[in-house]
Amino acid sequence: MNANPITKYTWIGYTAARSNLAYVGEVISRAAFMAVILYIFMRLWTVVYAEAGASRLGGFTIQQMIWYLVLTESIMLSSPRVSMEIDEDVRTGRLSVQLLRPLSYALTRLAQTLGERIVRFAVNLFAGTAVVLILVGPIRPSLSGLIMFTFLLPVAFVVDFLGYFAIGLCAFWLESTAGLMIIYSRFTMLAGGMLMPLEVFPPRLQSIARRLPFSSMVYGPARLFVAGGTDVFRQTLIMQIAGLFLFGGIVLGLQRLAFKRIQNHGG
Amino acid sequence: MWKSFKNYIGLLIAYTQINLNSQLEYRGAFISEAIGMLINDCFWVGFWLIFFRRFPVLQGWNAKDIVTLWAISAAGFGVAYAVMGNSWYLPGLIVNGQLDLWMLQPRAVLPHLLVGRTLVTAWGDAVFGYLVYLGFVRPDLHHAALFVLLSLSVAMAFVGLGVLTASLTFYLGNGTLLAEQWRFAAITFSTYPESLFTGAVKLLLFTAIPAGFISYIPVRALRNLSLMDAGLAAMGSIGIMAAGAAAFYLGLRRYESGNLISMNG
Amino acid sequence: MFRGVEIEHLKKDFLLTRWNGLRRNVSEVSAVADISLSISSGQSVAFIGPNGAGKSTTIKMLTGILHPTAGRVSVMGFIPWRDRRHLAYHIGAVFGQRSQLWYHLPPGDTFELLARVYNIRRSDFERTREALIERFALGPFLDVPVRKLSLGQRMRAEVAASLLHRPKVLFLDEPTIGLDVLARHELRGLIQEWNRQEGLTVFLTSHDAGDIEHVAERVVVINHGRIVLDDQIAALRCRYPGSTLEQIIARIYTSVNERGGPS
Repeated sequence: MNANPITKYTWIGYTAARSNLAYVGEVISRAAFMAVILYIFMRLWTVVYAEAGASRLGGFTIQQMIWYLVLTESIMLSSPRVSMEIDEDVRTGRLSVQLLRPLSYALTRLAQTLGERIVRFAVNLFAGTAVVLILVGPIRPSLSGLIMFTFLLPVAFVVDFLGYFAIGLCAFWLESTAGLMIIYSRFTMLAGGMLMPLEVFPPRLQSIARRLPFSSMVYGPARLFVAGGTDVFRQTLIMQIAGLFLFGGIVLGLQRLAFKRIQNHGG
Repeated sequence: MWKSFKNYIGLLIAYTQINLNSQLEYRGAFISEAIGMLINDCFWVGFWLIFFRRFPVLQGWNAKDIVTLWAISAAGFGVAYAVMGNSWYLPGLIVNGQLDLWMLQPRAVLPHLLVGRTLVTAWGDAVFGYLVYLGFVRPDLHHAALFVLLSLSVAMAFVGLGVLTASLTFYLGNGTLLAEQWRFAAITFSTYPESLFTGAVKLLLFTAIPAGFISYIPVRALRNLSLMDAGLAAMGSIGIMAAGAAAFYLGLRRYESGNLISMNG
Repeated sequence: MFRGVEIEHLKKDFLLTRWNGLRRNVSEVSAVADISLSISSGQSVAFIGPNGAGKSTTIKMLTGILHPTAGRVSVMGFIPWRDRRHLAYHIGAVFGQRSQLWYHLPPGDTFELLARVYNIRRSDFERTREALIERFALGPFLDVPVRKLSLGQRMRAEVAASLLHRPKVLFLDEPTIGLDVLARHELRGLIQEWNRQEGLTVFLTSHDAGDIEHVAERVVVINHGRIVLDDQIAALRCRYPGSTLEQIIARIYTSVNERGGPS
């Protein structure tokens, strides 16, 4: 049977998703994790709002602020191990073989990563929602906001995937890519607004962060979920496209260099 | 008694050396991971600096205070798990029956096994903690000396925490997850200002989730240059270590009875 | 002072917890039913039996890792689980799956560490180490990281490491597993040599008949937590002339399983 490519990759994604639908224990431990950090953040922002004497900061009510954090944490915590997997593929030589068919390899990895990530995100969101409902109660997100979020989240995941893929490829030259991975992941955390929305950044840093692709991977989708806004949608989409080109370009360049290296050194 | 203590210190130094040598066989990976953690810690401080740029004072705390908190926590964490790395890996050791090897040797089981391994990333935390305190807070000699002493006290608290939480796995077959969550909660709470928490939660933070003894009291001691608070911090650390050791040896008896074995399905 | 191993009516039951999802099922399992054994100092004994027979449980009780439900054990005059630390100075152990050697470092480094762990006096340590290096032929790779050694070299270093503190009793669990013919032959020879020349009491568990044949003088077969055979190997050969040791053992296993009890 000759499966057509779309079916093949969908099936890979589905299998990866299923194998990640882990045990009850893991969901509970996720919830415990979320409970700790969301509780701490809630205390932090309650104090900040009280000391500022404001009911809104950066346009966010405190409920929206905590919900925003649920979203950003859910996104960040669903981060894939793909760069480690690619690192391993490089070192075991499996990647060298795949580089003869680079598109197929990349798409397979992408399908696996998306499948994994969407499930982990959903589990995180579920656990986080349970906690935040207890802590600050519900918010009323707009339908348009939710739709925009649903559309942009997968794109954000693809951009992030490309970033991690590029790092994994560096295994051809580095003894360990763990360092690069940490830098990338922390940059995403900081410049991507994981800990506070960009609106609350001091002005100069805010404009810098808005111009980096990380904001489109974390802040953008999270903000859309919580408070909608078509201009945020537009900015996020533009940044995501820029990110696709930027990271995608880096991946292509690295692949070419890697191929040359294999030809010279034999993997 | 003193001779025995000196003997164990000598053993500790020998193990730290051999652990380091073993890791340095893969120098690139070791440095990469340690520096990775150092960078991670820098980013967290970076977040707080951005936060305090926007909100300059938080219940009497400023940027320097939060950096002090991070510095002492990181330094203590780093020393603890760099030297006694197996207090981090202990849940797995217990569950996989790897205590046997340590029990075959002529040494007290707990202290011996604790120094048997190092947590590579902890080295990055340690370097970060001391450097950022010296470089950012720029303490005078008194504060610097107190910082170094307190970092050792915090290290003891972290070792105690690791042992205490790991001992849960003697009793719960799949307790590794729970033990790690408990440990994670204590570590996380200890990196946020004490004043954020009140009432029942605060009580919790000085008992079951001992963040109070891990970092809150040491930070108080540093801010006020108070020897009394420093003494209190040290006592708290000893308390946590004692609790951990007691829990461990109690669990070890269960291990020795062989009743630990549990299978799934 | 009796310096051997003395076991009297050793019994070990433990509670086995079975998890079925969230439901817990606790049953009592008898790992060792009744074992009595006396091994004099300097003897070399093979302790064998099918999987699940109670071998490793017995060894764990002899080394102080487990304490028994009933019975008496004396190893070199010590009660293992009570005087574990003191006993540890006098016993050595080589367990196939668990290595004492630091993987990324040369064996020499592990030896130095062990000298500290066992508080071996410097002069004694150097003397013993030299003797071991010479007789185990460790010289060529003493400074080579363990991960780069062949399995044969690693096992030689492993056994040598277990002898650094000059124990009186050595417990070996599957020491030749995975070794090629030459390496196996060498290792058996070394253990036998140490047994004969240093008076080392050897307690060996192995599934390999060759190990038993070349290292042990006495064989104890255990099944279902009881001893089903305890005899000198020479005597066994007389009783079953013409059979190899492997055949003899296989026969014993089968007859035991058929009868489901001691002979």
